[in-house]
Amino acid sequence: MSVAAKFSQIGKPLPRREDRRFLLGKGRYLDDIVPPGVAQVCFLRAPHAHARIVGIDSTAACALPGVIGVFTGRDLAEWTTPLRLAPPIEGLHPVEMTTLPIDKVRFHGDPVAVVVARDRYVAEDAVDLIEVAYEPLPCVADTASALAPGAARVDESLPDNLVSHQSFSAGDLAARRAEAARVIETTFDLQRHTHVPLETRGCMADWDEGREHLTMQIGTQVPHPLRGQLAGRLGLSESQVTVISPDVGGAFGQKIALYREELAVAALSRHLGQPLHWREDRAENLMAASHARETRCVTRAAVRGDGRILGLELELVEDFGAYCFYPANYMARVIAMILTGPYRIADYSFDVKVVLTNKCGNGPMRAPMAITSWVMDGTLDAVARELGLDAVEVRRINALGPGDLPYTMATGEVLADITSRETLEGAVSAIDISAFRARQARARDEGRLVGLGLCTVVESTTYGSQFYKAAGIPGSGHEAAWVRIEPSGAVNASVGLMGTGQGYETPLAQAVAEGLGVSAETVTVHMGHTDIAPYGMGSRGARGATAGGGTLYLCARKAQEKVLAIAAGMLSLNDARGLRLRDGHVERRLDDDWQPTGLGLKDIAQRAYLDPTALPDKVAPGLDVSLTYDPPPMTYSNATHACEVEIDKFTGRIDIRRYLVAEDCGTVINPLVVEGQQHGAVAMGLSGALFEQVIYDETGQNLSATLADYLVATATELPKVEIIPMHTPNRSTPAGIKGMAEGGIMGAIGVIANAVNDALAPLGVTATRMPLSPQYIRALVREADENQERTGEA
Amino acid sequence: MTAPVTLSLAVNGAVHEVTVPPRKLLSDVLREDLGLTGTHVGCEHGVCGACTILIDGQPARACLTFAVQMEGHDLTTIEAVSEGDRLSPLQQALHQVHGLQCGFCTPGIIMTVTAYLRDHPDPDEVEIRDLLSGNLCRCTGYQNIVKAVIRAAAEIRARAPA
Ligand code: FES
Ligand code: FES
Repeated sequence: MSVAAKFSQIGKPLPRREDRRFLLGKGRYLDDIVPPGVAQVCFLRAPHAHARIVGIDSTAACALPGVIGVFTGRDLAEWTTPLRLAPPIEGLHPVEMTTLPIDKVRFHGDPVAVVVARDRYVAEDAVDLIEVAYEPLPCVADTASALAPGAARVDESLPDNLVSHQSFSAGDLAARRAEAARVIETTFDLQRHTHVPLETRGCMADWDEGREHLTMQIGTQVPHPLRGQLAGRLGLSESQVTVISPDVGGAFGQKIALYREELAVAALSRHLGQPLHWREDRAENLMAASHARETRCVTRAAVRGDGRILGLELELVEDFGAYCFYPANYMARVIAMILTGPYRIADYSFDVKVVLTNKCGNGPMRAPMAITSWVMDGTLDAVARELGLDAVEVRRINALGPGDLPYTMATGEVLADITSRETLEGAVSAIDISAFRARQARARDEGRLVGLGLCTVVESTTYGSQFYKAAGIPGSGHEAAWVRIEPSGAVNASVGLMGTGQGYETPLAQAVAEGLGVSAETVTVHMGHTDIAPYGMGSRGARGATAGGGTLYLCARKAQEKVLAIAAGMLSLNDARGLRLRDGHVERRLDDDWQPTGLGLKDIAQRAYLDPTALPDKVAPGLDVSLTYDPPPMTYSNATHACEVEIDKFTGRIDIRRYLVAEDCGTVINPLVVEGQQHGAVAMGLSGALFEQVIYDETGQNLSATLADYLVATATELPKVEIIPMHTPNRSTPAGIKGMAEGGIMGAIGVIANAVNDALAPLGVTATRMPLSPQYIRALVREADENQERTGEA
Repeated sequence: MTAPVTLSLAVNGAVHEVTVPPRKLLSDVLREDLGLTGTHVGCEHGVCGACTILIDGQPARACLTFAVQMEGHDLTTIEAVSEGDRLSPLQQALHQVHGLQCGFCTPGIIMTVTAYLRDHPDPDEVEIRDLLSGNLCRCTGYQNIVKAVIRAAAEIRARAPA
């Protein structure tokens, strides 16, 4: 409440600007803006998980009417440079990849050749006519076989498949084990996911031979970094490349990297001197765009008899797939850094291994650290189970309280302005645990499996440059913005983010409006065009609000200062003290009251642009302000999820009876948009925990290349989510913003597993892997039955 | 066999003559030959529902239909749902309660629900969730879509002559 009170534009639940065009079917997604007649691109993909390319014969494909050309990795290598990732990080091997594979393919779906043709239908026909001779190689389809001695190497330039290995230790784990009543080991296996944006990847490249300039239209989260990649790998300067992102049908982390297909399309447009359009189909998206997660964690908690964790050890192994589009330590590292989150654990160690396998490469997916809260709160639940303690009490005894803050975690990360203890209590009281326990006891008497889960999340939202530096991850966390008041008083603004469905146009206009002192309706925010937007780091993680909104807010405040300096001159005042802009009008403080001055933003703008000689001393003409801002090393939001389930032991079906989230994500710019992000994140988390799974067989064949195989939750499988807002501002960010949108996934994965295990507790079995599919639940119930029979016999 | 054929398609109350290969999908013909890009393609295998249009008033997957099958049928796409510039009650409700994010699934959902509300003016939440189960949305978690459908149904009932 107190957070919102001091703002006039921030905090309003304004419906979104972009809605109208989407609702009318007038959105401009990439395929909607491709002019008729543009040639189409289609890729031939490897049928093998691991094989040498012995020869490619494209004679028949080239002869097909309508085919413009067929190209291979060798061709592309002449026009592009390889991607080399070699950040100076201890334990991380440098890697390099060509634009398309030349000597061998590394996973089922690896692009082998590319066809350009008159239309997509002909291009697909031509792909079928390309003959490739392969020599299959032994493949490694999981981390265990990849790490086995003598395993086939995915990347033959490396000594083995362990592409990244880091460890860390703080405190004295051996001493803590010695003191402990028990050491409790728990396993967490999060399966391979993929992002499934409803709009797959695609791009249109147009090389202008006359200007020697590439225009790349592509749905991307990060226009400027992508431009840099494109320019670099095509041997162009950044002035020769414009990246434009039209409306984007979802991304969730899948539209950050410059993919090989996209680079190939750009290079071919330049080579052929004509615009080219590529749209991947759903099978390609599921098999070959980007995968995520597939992380196995083992924790060992040294605990006292009362459940207090004295020391915690983490072993993490991530199956990274075949190619590194990101430094291989990138996602796993964050998990290890923030694992202890809401709990007070000073003695902590981790060992993090990232392994190459013959699968599609991993990348960040909404909540790259998704597994974190499951691992931490799942460990606490294991402690409670093993010691026969109450799960809430075990959380309380380990929880960081307000008095502990700011708290430096064992890894050196500093938590400040979080309220994880408060959201825990908020969720516990909202769900009424004692009433639940009574219901649960009755249900158990009837032989029904009913469970309650809790999961507290500390979500790393905005990564400042200092975090990257300290964590040994290359990157910058700053953002850039400009605000322009046009001569008419209209307000244009821009920032380096690019939305992919979040609805930035409205909340970011609110951030500008708040900083400047106008109403949000008068502000238009331009994004996704590298010649218009300032160079920013784009949209990733949950940085949109703090980095994007915060930078715009600060920039707009700077613009307001200039407006008021000009106003002071027009009012014959010495300076702007006692002036403010509200709703586009200059007001002056008289005693305790703000009085109108009769000046509006348009009057000021007219003077700034059209009568500059009348401006006060040292005030330059125009109203065009820009600013860059680097957020604190890290900002955190927090939440506690609670969920009640009933399991049908005969079908394995999990019925979610109640789901709530008590959340603190700081100052909320637009509650409507934030609520949408909360719903969407919980939905994606639950969908992943319950259904989704990229499946490879032991020969590395991908068996989940349709949406009938890779299952995404529909409306009937998801619960209604109750949200309890418990927001408090961050004191070190502009306007107190914290950021959000990924924590919902972390919480959902953890809470559903914890609830299921609570339900299964009477059977003496525990779910340790995902998805929590009916098959898996049935297998656990069968295991329990068999255990019982065995004990019965004995 | 793949020689283009000429056919006439009745879409949104107008008749269009197009010449297309027989294997060309209805979704592609609507988008590429008729410029009706509001119908989206999310999977081309009948699961996601993004391409849903109305064929003779009934929701159908344009990605599972060849355009050549459509002569003599009456097609309606998202472009014909609003009343001129005025959003339909469902479109309006989706806007007000934030029932869309990236908007890619939205046209398909609007077509599915619009047809349903015509015959079922007062659906409950279970029924609505069931109805929506043929349309994937990766962004919203469906909660606000359900809310919008309830609101739109009430609005349509209120508008109907007693
Ligand atoms: S595109 Fe037709 S159902 Fe997905
Ligand atoms: S709004 Fe993005 S898929 Fe539904």
